[in-house]
Amino acid sequence: MWHIIKNEWIGLHRNRAFLGLSTGFMMVLLLTVVLGTLQTHLQQRQYESAKNEVRQQWENLNPMNPHGAAHYGTYVFKPNSLLGSLDEGVNGVTGKVLRVEGHVQNEIVHSEASQMQAVSKFGKLKSALLLQYILPLLLLFVAFRSVNSEKQSGRLKLLVLQGGQLQRLVWAKVLAVWLYGMALLLLTLVAYALASSSSIDANTALRVLFFFLSYGLFYFIISGLTVLLSTLGKNATIALTTMLGIWILWTIFLPNILMSTVDQWHELPSREAFKTAMKADRSKGIDGHNPSDERSKELKEQTLKKYGVEEVSQLPINFDGLRMQADEAYGNRVWDKHFGRLREILAHQKQDYQLAGVLNPFISLQNASMGFAGSDNYHHQEFLVRVELYRRDFIKTLNDKHAYGGSTTGDWQWKVDQGFFKSVSDFVYQPVRLSAVISHYFLDLVLLLAWSALVSLLLIFATRKMPLL
Amino acid sequence: MVGIGESSFDFRNEENASFMTSLNILGYEWKHFVRSPFKVVALLLFVAASVYGLHNGARLYETQMDEVANIEAKMSEARQECLAFYEADQKGPEKRPWVDVTTPMWAMWYANIYHFNTPSSAMEFSIGQAEQYGFYKKITTRASSYDNDLTQEIANPERLQTGSLDFAFALLYLLPLVLLIMLYNLNSMEAEQGFLPLIEVQTASRYWWLGSRMLFYIGLLWIVLLGLLIYGAYLTGVFTNAGFAFGQMLFWSSLYLLFWSGLFFLLIRNSTTILSNALKMVGAWLLFAFIIPATVHQGVSIVQPAGFMTELIDAQRDQIWKLYDLPDSVLHARIEQRFPEIANSPIAEDRKKRQMAYKASTPALFNDLVKTSIVPIEQAYRDRNQLIRWSTLFNPVTFFQNQFNQVTETHFDDYLNYRHELQSLIDQQINTLVTDTWEGKVVTPSHFENYIQDLSQP
Repeated sequence: MWHIIKNEWIGLHRNRAFLGLSTGFMMVLLLTVVLGTLQTHLQQRQYESAKNEVRQQWENLNPMNPHGAAHYGTYVFKPNSLLGSLDEGVNGVTGKVLRVEGHVQNEIVHSEASQMQAVSKFGKLKSALLLQYILPLLLLFVAFRSVNSEKQSGRLKLLVLQGGQLQRLVWAKVLAVWLYGMALLLLTLVAYALASSSSIDANTALRVLFFFLSYGLFYFIISGLTVLLSTLGKNATIALTTMLGIWILWTIFLPNILMSTVDQWHELPSREAFKTAMKADRSKGIDGHNPSDERSKELKEQTLKKYGVEEVSQLPINFDGLRMQADEAYGNRVWDKHFGRLREILAHQKQDYQLAGVLNPFISLQNASMGFAGSDNYHHQEFLVRVELYRRDFIKTLNDKHAYGGSTTGDWQWKVDQGFFKSVSDFVYQPVRLSAVISHYFLDLVLLLAWSALVSLLLIFATRKMPLL
Repeated sequence: MVGIGESSFDFRNEENASFMTSLNILGYEWKHFVRSPFKVVALLLFVAASVYGLHNGARLYETQMDEVANIEAKMSEARQECLAFYEADQKGPEKRPWVDVTTPMWAMWYANIYHFNTPSSAMEFSIGQAEQYGFYKKITTRASSYDNDLTQEIANPERLQTGSLDFAFALLYLLPLVLLIMLYNLNSMEAEQGFLPLIEVQTASRYWWLGSRMLFYIGLLWIVLLGLLIYGAYLTGVFTNAGFAFGQMLFWSSLYLLFWSGLFFLLIRNSTTILSNALKMVGAWLLFAFIIPATVHQGVSIVQPAGFMTELIDAQRDQIWKLYDLPDSVLHARIEQRFPEIANSPIAEDRKKRQMAYKASTPALFNDLVKTSIVPIEQAYRDRNQLIRWSTLFNPVTFFQNQFNQVTETHFDDYLNYRHELQSLIDQQINTLVTDTWEGKVVTPSHFENYIQDLSQP
């Protein structure tokens, strides 16, 4: 079989058009890696600069009441995804700036897409764009004549008469095309590894491995299917046009239609409905800024009882801080309910979209690619959850200082100094470990494997029944 | 090839012969088309995708219109509630003793002034950037045209990234593919079968013959496009509400069809094989639909990267808090400098009320800070968009995409204009607040109605 593969490669190598196309494609692939890495570096610089600026402002705050500082708040910026220079995923359309403050869980804002007019519907020139859309097309053009031309020229019959096995021959054709795709994929990943060598750790390496695996399976499906059509078709043109039709259906048509459909199946609320519902739930809780609020009075009674005093002025703590924290705790339950529901709907949408991989392996590839690159919605949601957890910790630290820091109830002039602000920890984002999220992508991998198995079976059956002429 | 050998025409009258040949070609091309299931299926899929896209766009239009109506109803309810306070001689809700609707500040708050970027009914043709921005906002003296609530509607980011299948998507990406499928075997099949010399003898010019055949498909697709546009127009009443947009859509989509037809004609006129035809056409499609726009997008994000809006963040937080920290004397001096006319106002003489008037005027200083911070941000937008516009010299798909967005009022500029309108309303409200507060105006129901009227129009 190796000889046939080698022969195929030699044949391709002798084709000047193919050589030119391959060389050009390799150059573009390398260019995407270079541009992707350059953009990542620029973004990283901007990120560091914005992060430092905001932190400096926080640490250099003039002495201020802790609750005032909770309103002053801080900002968290979304860092680059691990393999963002390979596959940008949703990063271009999600916001990048999140305000962290008391009383409210804000939404992430200022997406890149909102800062310029429309340019490309398929995103930037990242490696993923070429690897997902163009390389399969290249494989298709390499493979569509592979068996058919042998049939047409009568060479197939000759090979079989000489003792060659048909199965072996067809599989060698598939592998020759597949290996060509794998070589280009490997080239991209090696270039990426060289360009990002300083930031690659075990987690990233594992992600790259699964990224490689997902693409490898998809390329096998494309190579196998095209060779299969080349085997079955009366002429090569039918194989080519059918495969082109499949490519259009898989990459352009179905992803959009299926995504829009799952969006309608599991409808997200409008912003107005979402906010109104949250406001309604929020109003049922304690109002930290309104001491005459019924629930505030209740909390006051409980606290007075706990400390065995009759007036808040006799409390050894600042009751205002306690009330603010009670307000936060209630608010957190409301945010959990409503933002949690949003996350649930998004998860349902994702699951159904992933299931669409049964119809279209390209969807499984896209999901897996974004997922392993750490740039899909799961990773985005994970980032938002971590920021919210940080916000809760941040505000609690300030409220606790307000309550137990030595001030008395009603003393809003009491201030804390820079030393305290410096002691409040900054948000540190640890990239999500693949082991924590890999279960989300099992379905995509399984579907890619199932498609590969199906194509293999079809190839085996088709080869058995293939006429030699 | 269908029927070339069967074509017959009268050599005695060349004009007549040419006309008849054209008709014959069109007639046989129709037969060729209906007998080619691949082409028929491709066209039907395109129609299905376009209809789906039109309905998607219409759904978004209706959702946004419903949302506008919903907010308007809430606005009206809240205003009636406030008018009831005036009628009952109440200052505000019992639970909020600090509210006094006879003061300009609270009256403006209860006026619930919203400004909408009401969607065009032509939006169904191209959703454009409609899903990336908010389309309604409450105007308050502390609002800004870059507030968080102006961000996109709640949406699945993966859907935004994949892009909605709207009519413009079908037009921009699927139409060239359908045209490609219609044309890929024109000329090349005859070349492969060795009929070209015969055709040249029969038709005098091979290019004319090829052009006539192509004309059939261009005409067919144009009729399909027209039908789709008319169908779409009836979905949301475009003829009634935005008739000019229909004409513009027809113009730009026809021009787009012509662009691809011209390009494909150049590519296939000298083709010798179906494969080379297909390769060249697919290559051109990939180049114009994928590679060039993606390269421009990547280039723009490197040359003019979208920032974290730190200028705005600084203004909205650090600089505003620094204003809070200023001694009253300094803050008041700044307000007096900003509004010199208040020095002679009735309240200026009243020490007690003056304090409250200064407080009510402070948002003007915040607003100025935010406006100053927006200048470099919008300059960056302009630079970025200028770069994209320049690229349209070699990036036709992006050019057409933005033309469609402009026609349907879903272009970046439409949302930027909306922000400018918001800013103008915010300025108006602040100026009125400062003037009326320092004049010591006691707001009556008629003043309240005037606020609603005057402060809603940018």
